[in-house]
Parts: sequence; structure tokens; C-alpha cells
Amino acid sequence: MSPAVRYGAIGFGVLALGAGFFFAPAYLNAYLMYLLTWIAIYAIAGTGLTVLMGWTGQIALAHAGLFGVGAYATAYLAGHGWPWPLAALTSSTASAGLGALVGLPAARLRGFYLAIATLAFGELLHQAFVQLTPLTRGPQGMAVAPIQLDGIDTPSLVWYLAMVMLAAVMVTLTALGRSRIGRCLKAVRDIESATGSLGISAMRYKLLAFAISAFLAGLAGAVFGQLITFLTPDLFDLPLLVIFLVQLFVGGVNRLSGALIGAIFVIAVRELLQSHVVSSLVPALVGSGQTLAFGLTLILVVRYLPGGLTSLPGRLRSRRPRPATLSQVE
Amino acid sequence: MAQQVISGLAAGSSYALLALGLVVTMKTTSVPNFAMGAMGLLPVYVIRSLWSQLHLPYGLAILAGIVVAFGMGWVVERLTIRHLIGLSHFTTVLMTIGIWFALNSIVGLLWGYEPQPLPGLVSGSFDLGQVVVTNAQLMTLAVGLAIAGWLIVFFRTTWGVRMRAVAEDPLVPRLLGVRVATISGLSWAIASGIAAIAVLLSAQASVLNPQSGDDLIISGFVAATAGGFSSIGGAVIGGLALGVLENLAGAYLSGAAASTVALLGIMVILLVRPTGLLGPGTGREV
Repeated sequence: MSPAVRYGAIGFGVLALGAGFFFAPAYLNAYLMYLLTWIAIYAIAGTGLTVLMGWTGQIALAHAGLFGVGAYATAYLAGHGWPWPLAALTSSTASAGLGALVGLPAARLRGFYLAIATLAFGELLHQAFVQLTPLTRGPQGMAVAPIQLDGIDTPSLVWYLAMVMLAAVMVTLTALGRSRIGRCLKAVRDIESATGSLGISAMRYKLLAFAISAFLAGLAGAVFGQLITFLTPDLFDLPLLVIFLVQLFVGGVNRLSGALIGAIFVIAVRELLQSHVVSSLVPALVGSGQTLAFGLTLILVVRYLPGGLTSLPGRLRSRRPRPATLSQVE
Repeated sequence: MAQQVISGLAAGSSYALLALGLVVTMKTTSVPNFAMGAMGLLPVYVIRSLWSQLHLPYGLAILAGIVVAFGMGWVVERLTIRHLIGLSHFTTVLMTIGIWFALNSIVGLLWGYEPQPLPGLVSGSFDLGQVVVTNAQLMTLAVGLAIAGWLIVFFRTTWGVRMRAVAEDPLVPRLLGVRVATISGLSWAIASGIAAIAVLLSAQASVLNPQSGDDLIISGFVAATAGGFSSIGGAVIGGLALGVLENLAGAYLSGAAASTVALLGIMVILLVRPTGLLGPGTGREV
């Protein structure tokens, strides 16, 4: 295929896809649209984790809390008269700042110490959502004022918001991954001890990865607030952390597409377990079945498919099993 | 003040015990076990069921529960951890997080999410003038110190030395005829038993719910981190200190302050001295 034809085909595909998403509110039923929006939001947060855990190789367990920071701060600011886009941007930047703060020890800590520190930080944020009642209304919960735009209903607006953001994030991060910065992040993961002699400051790039991932977690949280319309602290606790981890590792931690595929997976599993068939067959599964499924999925993926679903085509093509995918250079 | 210190020491004793469980799996299989709290929780639910539904004497139920804990630790190690030997902490952290949530939801599935009362182990107290010390507090502290002492001795026995050797290098001990798989399974069994005792002591004369293990795991990590994940004495002192600090913060600042002491403490320790306050001076490559 000549380049002209290929780019023409890609261009046409993108246009067709764009048109499909643009007119989706007209033909999709409301519930499916709600689920797809949810998937896009998780995918935005997931791509941030791909940058941090996949590319840079840092364990981070604080992102459920950072997602909550984006949701709560945006709702608070927008509730106090800020225009929503400004509120969302400010909150995501605040989340990025917090992410860099929790990333500071990353320069000195390795592996599981970082896991403990970030887990504690995420719990600290959860405690803050519970305790700072003047800002968050604590366990009572906080209603989110819906965004308004003339001539368009809120669910459609949230749909466009999530889809446009996801597309922008995907394009930006794909470019970032191929740039010098992306290669430096992967160098920090693969050859950290050599980065100093190459003139790469490992610490600076770790902090950058923490900030980027926290920013995207915050941004996703801001949109999530619009989708869910009512915030309680428990939305941003350990169960969400497990969902993020399952999403990331089922999809494949090294690839941006993994974040999207993982998001589809977790929402599909959740819907399946809440579906009428399962709830009538095994009523007990409705409550804790989801956590059980996600816990077992994490165990199985780590044990049998460390590169996630997106590593399957490559694994099937090459007969020899590849070395551990976590350290594989793309 | 003295009253707060006494209750702090008793609470800290459970933290220290959970930290000891963490130190044992770290010392032998080099796995930071995020599932430790959940592994201690399930056997305690078994104990409660044996006592309240099968009407076993409480002491006998506890013994049976600890046997269950040993078995569960062995099985978990056999099914999951053994296949990950030699892989990075990145992998084992994720695996143990998976185990943590799987076990927690199994507890929720089998026993529900309603808090269930757990009887006290001993009753009575005595008055020392200004402070009142309950027998339960004394017993908790004594059990914690006894298990720590037993572990210190144990790591000097043949089996203990084998465990430490396996942690250092899984290959060479195998060449010397040490059954690495047995050692690794045994350490998870012991750690799981200790965790069950930790959860049992912290929930005694109080209620048990599926979150009981989660509440302990962060505190356990703080205590283990204080000892650099290798020092038994460090884990005990770290646990007791954390318990006392939490109680003082709860009494003199606020209830909310008490629950953030552990979370802030761990970040401060890791920022100031990442190898642990009482751990080895040189960091172990992790």
C-alpha cells in the first residue's frame, strides 16, 4: 500500500470514528452511553498510570485518592462559581502537585517501600475526604452541580467531554512516548543506574511521571464527578485502587491501548456481575463478587499473563515466550 | 497520660505482631505481604464461627483457628508466591494485593459485612492508684513480647538459619540440600498464624468486620518499616511506639488525628531514613 493510500485510509477511519462518536448521543441508549463515558474516564486515569507504572516502572498506589482530589476539588470550585473548565484544570494541577509530592520519596525509595508510602498517602487522602467536612461534607456526601451548555443535555455534554479528553490524552501521550522524554522515562525503568552517566536525571523524570499521572487521575476524577453527580469518600478508597490495578494489568501495563482495553474489561465485569442473570443465580455475589473477581483476576494476570491482553498478539506470533514484559522496551 | 500509654502499648502489641508476620515473610521469601491483614482476618472469623455456632470452648476454637491460619498460609504460598520466586517486588506487591482483596471478599461472602462481636479472652483489672490496667491489656502485651522472643530464638535454630539463607539467595541453599519450597511454605504458615493472633488480640472484647484486617495492615507496615523489615526488635518497638503515639494523639488532639498518625508516620520514616529507624545502616538492595 502506498503511503498516500494508507494515510487516506487512516484519515477516513478517524473521520468515520469521529462522526460515530459525535452522533452517538442520537442513537445510543442512555445507559450504554453512561457506561462508555465511564470507560473513557477510567481510560484517561489508566493512561496516566501507564506512564508511571509501565513506562517509568514506579509502583504507585495513591491514584484512587488523587482521582478523588480531582473530583472533590472540581465540584467544590465549580460550586463556588468557578467556570467548570477552569475548576477542572486547577484541580488537576493541584492533583499533579500532590502526585509530585508523593513522588518525592520515589527518588530514594525502591519497590515495595514506595508501594507502602503511596498506599499510605492514598489512605491519607481518603481520610481527608472523610474528615474535612467543610470542603467535602464527609461521609454524608456532596452533590455535584451539573455542567450546563445551551442546546445540549448534560449526559451528552459529559460524553463529549470524556471522549474529546480521552482522544486528546491518547494523542498527546503517544507523541510523548516517542519523544525524548518518553525514551528517558523508559530508560529510568530499564537502566536507572546508567541514567546518571547519560546526563538523565532519574529523579526529575520520576517526578515528571508522577505529576503527569496524577494530573490525568485528577482530570479523570473531575469528569467522573459530572458522571456520578454525587461524591462520597468511599468511592475513592481501596476498591477503586484495585479496579485501577486490574485495569492496568489486564490491559497491559506498557501500552496506552492497554489502559483502554483494561477499562472496557473492568466495566464489563462489573456490569456482568450486577446483571440480572448473575444476581438471580447467585445473590451473594452481588455485594462482594466484584471485589472477589477483581482480586482473583489480579492474581491470575500477574501469574499467567504479566504483559496483559495487549501482549497476546506478540506472544502468539513469536513462539518463544518473551522475557518478563514489565521490563520490555517497546 | 499513663493511662493512654498503657492502652497504647496494648494496641501497639497487635501492630507489632502483624509487623512480625511481615518480617517473617520478608526475611524468608523476600515478599512484602500486603495480604497479611486479610490472612489474619479469615482465621479469626473461623474461630468466631467455631465458638458461636459449633459451641466449641473458646480456647479450643482459637487453637483450631491458628491451625487453619497455618494451613491457609501454606496453601497461599504454594498456589501463588512459589511461582514468583526471583521476580521483582513490583510483581509480588501486585500479587499480594490481589490475594488481599480476594480473601477480604471471601470473608464478606461467607460471613457478611455486619460487625460481629468477639468475646474477651480474659477479664478483670487492677487499680494502680492513678491508672487502671486490665488483664486483657497485660495479656496482649505479654503475647506480643512472647512471640517476638520466640522468633528471635527461632531464627537462630537450624530451621531459622535455613529460612534466612533462603531469603539471601534461593539457589545456594538448594545446592546445600535445603528444601527451599518447604522453608518458604513454612514461613508463610508461621506468618499467617502470627497475623491471626494479631487480629484476634486487636478485636478481642470488641467487634470483627471485614475491614478489621485493613485497619491493621498500615499500622503493621509502619512498625515493620521502623525495623527496616528485618529487625524483630525494631518491629516490636515500632509497633509499641505507634500504639502509644496514636493514643496520645487521640487523647490530646482529636480522634481524627489518631487515625492519621500511622499514615503520616510511615511517610516521615521513609523520607528521613528509608532503611528503617532501627534497621541496618546500609540499605538492602530491593
